[in-house]
Amino acid sequence: MIELKNIEKYYATKGIKNYVLRHVTTTIKQGEFVSIMGPSGAGKSTLLNILGMLEEPTYGVYEFLGEDVTSLNERKRIELYRNHIGFVFQAYHLIDEMTVYENIEAPLLYKKVGSSERASRIANLLDRFNIVAKKDLFPNQLSGGQQQLVGIARALAAQPSIILADEPTGNLQSAQAEEIMQLFQQLNKEDGITIIQVTHSEKNATYGNRILHLADGVVKDDVKI
Amino acid sequence: MFKLNLKIAWRNLWKNKAYAAINIGGLALGLTAFVLMLLYINHEESYDSWSPDLKSVYQIREKHDFFTPDNKEHWQDAVNSRMAALVRNNIPQVQAVTKVDQEWDWNNGYSLKVDNANPVMVKKVKDADSSFFKVFDYQFIQGNPETALKSPKSIVIKESIALKLFGTDKVLGKTIKIVIWRSDPGQLMTITGVVKEPKTPQSVGFNAIMRTGDKDKDPENITNSNYCQVYAKMNGAIDTALLNESLIKVYVNAKKASFAQQKRNFNDYYKNGKLPGLKAVQMEAVHANPSLQISWKDKLKPIIGISIFLLLVSVINFVNLATAQSVQRAKEVGVKKVLGSYKGQLLMQFLLESALQSIVSLFLCVILVEMILPSFNHHFNVNLSFWYNPQLLMMIFQLLALFAFVTLIAGFYPSWILSNYNPVSVLKGNYENGLKGIALRNILVVFQFVISVTFIIAIGVMYQQTQYVSNKDLGFEKGNLINIKSNYEETFAERLRKIPGVKYIATTTQVMGNAFNVPEEITYKDSKIPLNTVTVSIDALQALGVKVLQGRIFAKEYKQDTVNSIVLNESAAKLIDKNAIGKMYDVKTEKNKYSFQIVGVIKDYHNEGFDKAVLPTIYKVTHLGGTSNTNNLLVRFDTENSGNVIKKIEAEWKALYPDYPMSYTTMSNAFDKVLEDNKRFMNMIILFSVISVSLSLLGLFALSTFVAKRRTKEIAVRKVLGASNIQIVNLLNKSFLILVIAANLISWPIAYIIIKKWLEGFAYRIDMPVLPFIVATIVSVIIAVLTVSIQARKAAVTDPVNALKYE
Repeated sequence: MIELKNIEKYYATKGIKNYVLRHVTTTIKQGEFVSIMGPSGAGKSTLLNILGMLEEPTYGVYEFLGEDVTSLNERKRIELYRNHIGFVFQAYHLIDEMTVYENIEAPLLYKKVGSSERASRIANLLDRFNIVAKKDLFPNQLSGGQQQLVGIARALAAQPSIILADEPTGNLQSAQAEEIMQLFQQLNKEDGITIIQVTHSEKNATYGNRILHLADGVVKDDVKI
Repeated sequence: MFKLNLKIAWRNLWKNKAYAAINIGGLALGLTAFVLMLLYINHEESYDSWSPDLKSVYQIREKHDFFTPDNKEHWQDAVNSRMAALVRNNIPQVQAVTKVDQEWDWNNGYSLKVDNANPVMVKKVKDADSSFFKVFDYQFIQGNPETALKSPKSIVIKESIALKLFGTDKVLGKTIKIVIWRSDPGQLMTITGVVKEPKTPQSVGFNAIMRTGDKDKDPENITNSNYCQVYAKMNGAIDTALLNESLIKVYVNAKKASFAQQKRNFNDYYKNGKLPGLKAVQMEAVHANPSLQISWKDKLKPIIGISIFLLLVSVINFVNLATAQSVQRAKEVGVKKVLGSYKGQLLMQFLLESALQSIVSLFLCVILVEMILPSFNHHFNVNLSFWYNPQLLMMIFQLLALFAFVTLIAGFYPSWILSNYNPVSVLKGNYENGLKGIALRNILVVFQFVISVTFIIAIGVMYQQTQYVSNKDLGFEKGNLINIKSNYEETFAERLRKIPGVKYIATTTQVMGNAFNVPEEITYKDSKIPLNTVTVSIDALQALGVKVLQGRIFAKEYKQDTVNSIVLNESAAKLIDKNAIGKMYDVKTEKNKYSFQIVGVIKDYHNEGFDKAVLPTIYKVTHLGGTSNTNNLLVRFDTENSGNVIKKIEAEWKALYPDYPMSYTTMSNAFDKVLEDNKRFMNMIILFSVISVSLSLLGLFALSTFVAKRRTKEIAVRKVLGASNIQIVNLLNKSFLILVIAANLISWPIAYIIIKKWLEGFAYRIDMPVLPFIVATIVSVIIAVLTVSIQARKAAVTDPVNALKYE
């Protein structure tokens, strides 16, 4: 599903290249649950951003679903966002001015899903995550764990083939974190959704089936569980 | 999607209620001023557009120097009555030509009397010849336009006058007695038509058009002339330039013939750049190009400028607040982008938000306009309405255009900034991008303050000039002096003199409120000097209370005063001779030579607005060399309690002239009227400056809030490092203070240039004062510092922990 060939990323300051990623080459197949781990500054988030096409690599080739997406125009990239990629953030990034329902509905509106289809999909998601009662609340009326549930529901609404999660439990207490990780595992196993997460926690990484260890921009270790 | 965006927009407005209110309220104020101006412009533009036929109607104008305030030649709509026949006989395209009275400001109207009812003064009752309704296509409710003025002593009235006098419009065949001046025995006129008030205002406005018969013929003696307005209707549309070419040819030929008949030399008269002139002005251009007065377009220019500036100030507030606020919306933009929103969709969303705000402002503005219109109408002496405007459709179209314009200009830049946010940096919590557009924001704040400071300076200078003018020595005593609108007649004057409390009864052609200038060239020691001549009665100068500088003024004891004595004013004395007393000068005409002796010099006294210099003037009582007169009857009281005396004068008047009510004005009122225009202008400037300054301050207040918010972290770090509250406040103030000072530096030269130009419009003016400039600067700095400090203090006293623990 994902092919990274010799991905490099550096920032040039005053003529000196500061490498963030070096020679990253890997393949991620459909249905994998990959955790990217490593110390602060190892380049985890940059790698995830490149995977999410939020940043472009300086060198290298990135193929997504067999298509070279190293530098895509905005329109094509957005098409991918609408149909294939769902994002989950550490700080949830729900839109404060929208209710839970509207937050989940937003990607469907962009995807131009018909209104009855929209309603049923959202109802399903609300049901599945047990947040039906919260659908008319605003994000700031929810706990962190609940907000992240909504965040995941939003990411799933467009029925993506892959979810990119940047420290999804970083702001949560351990009980809530566990709940979220179980949810991810379930999505991966039952729905076959590919998940790539960045995490600091060994425990969280064990929910997945593959761990990429990054240090100073280089893949040190690629472990299958 | 649209619905959701609308919802988000609404929730955002609600969340930032205070700023939304500032935004919307400010914009509504700016719009209101603008819309009022639009209404006014539409009204003025609509003059003479009530009938398509008016496209082929022309006003005839002649170039001459009679009735002018400066004794120079001007294109005038009061033309020699002979021009009507000239145009009719020599221009083949002419369908009809009509002669009609011109309008006099000083005229209080004519007295209209129906049967035994009390006489009513009605303005704009005009005498015309039989062709008036052949030129002007009025709609008759009663009567027939073809035959209405066929016979003399007929009158056509407007519907409103019919209702006022008779209570009905079925008045054909009824008679009205018209008394034109106080001792006029009156003429009985038969009503032959009632016309409907046209939809739009008219340059040739009237309440009644009568045919007395006076306009049917021109004076027989070639040296006499009557002046009136002449209008010609052409066969369809014609080329005005060509028409004017033939008019001037015809005019020159006619002048030459007339001069030959009078045995005068044509070339002798038209020399030194003086040229004969006759032209036609299309009806639709008449109102915008009045003769002798300033056109409404020129009058309105400063106001147009001011209201555009005001609108700009409010739009700037809008832009500034929106871009500053954009930090709050950054996350939404980032998230939406990764959810699959196009940039264009986001742009539309934010434009929709500013559209929502401007539509609310527009709604508020319509309410405000409705509320303000009555006092606006009163102030500008117009009768505008919004909902009952005949051009409502046009108005709505203009409003929609304005709405679209404001939305785009106010919304586009912030929307563009917002939709350009890079999702990675935003979602990382890196809001440094909020700094985007800070340079533009600073420029806009400076711009706002330039406008406000210029306004403040302008108020200061205008106040000083107004003070100077209202306290200026007028050269005559304006207290205890009234001017009755009537000619001077010796027997009536004698009767009034017997009333106790009356000191002088006199007349002059030159007094504040109604000055009438007659140019004359004198010959003194072989040099020719152009002067202004004023005919007075013997005690007019005493009645006015002028100051004698040299010699004496007229008095009954001097028999010579009714023979050839004259008095000069100071300006004239400067032109003639410093020691003029006792000297003689001549006035030469084609046939005769008259000699006059100068007996006194008086201080210049003001008789026009302060924009005009007092003309060098000769005052004479004698009939030698011709006289002139106008409707001024001056009454000087020797008692403070003039009310009773005026009542006695009115009683005397009523006994003699029961069919013509007396009307008068006190000289204090006449003086106030002279100042009125400027006062009006100044009041408006004050109002607009207060609005513009408060809008700018509101904008600054809101902006400083956002800046304080954005710098929360910096402030917290500085506090942790040991900065005191005062230091924090100073830190925030400094950035704004620089802007305000820059604005002051920019506005000084701008204000200087504008104000200099304004002051140059006055013949009597103060020197450019320095004080308003300094005061404006100090005031603007102080209020800006106060405004920012309120927010800065809030930011300074918050606990740094709150700011730092976040993230």
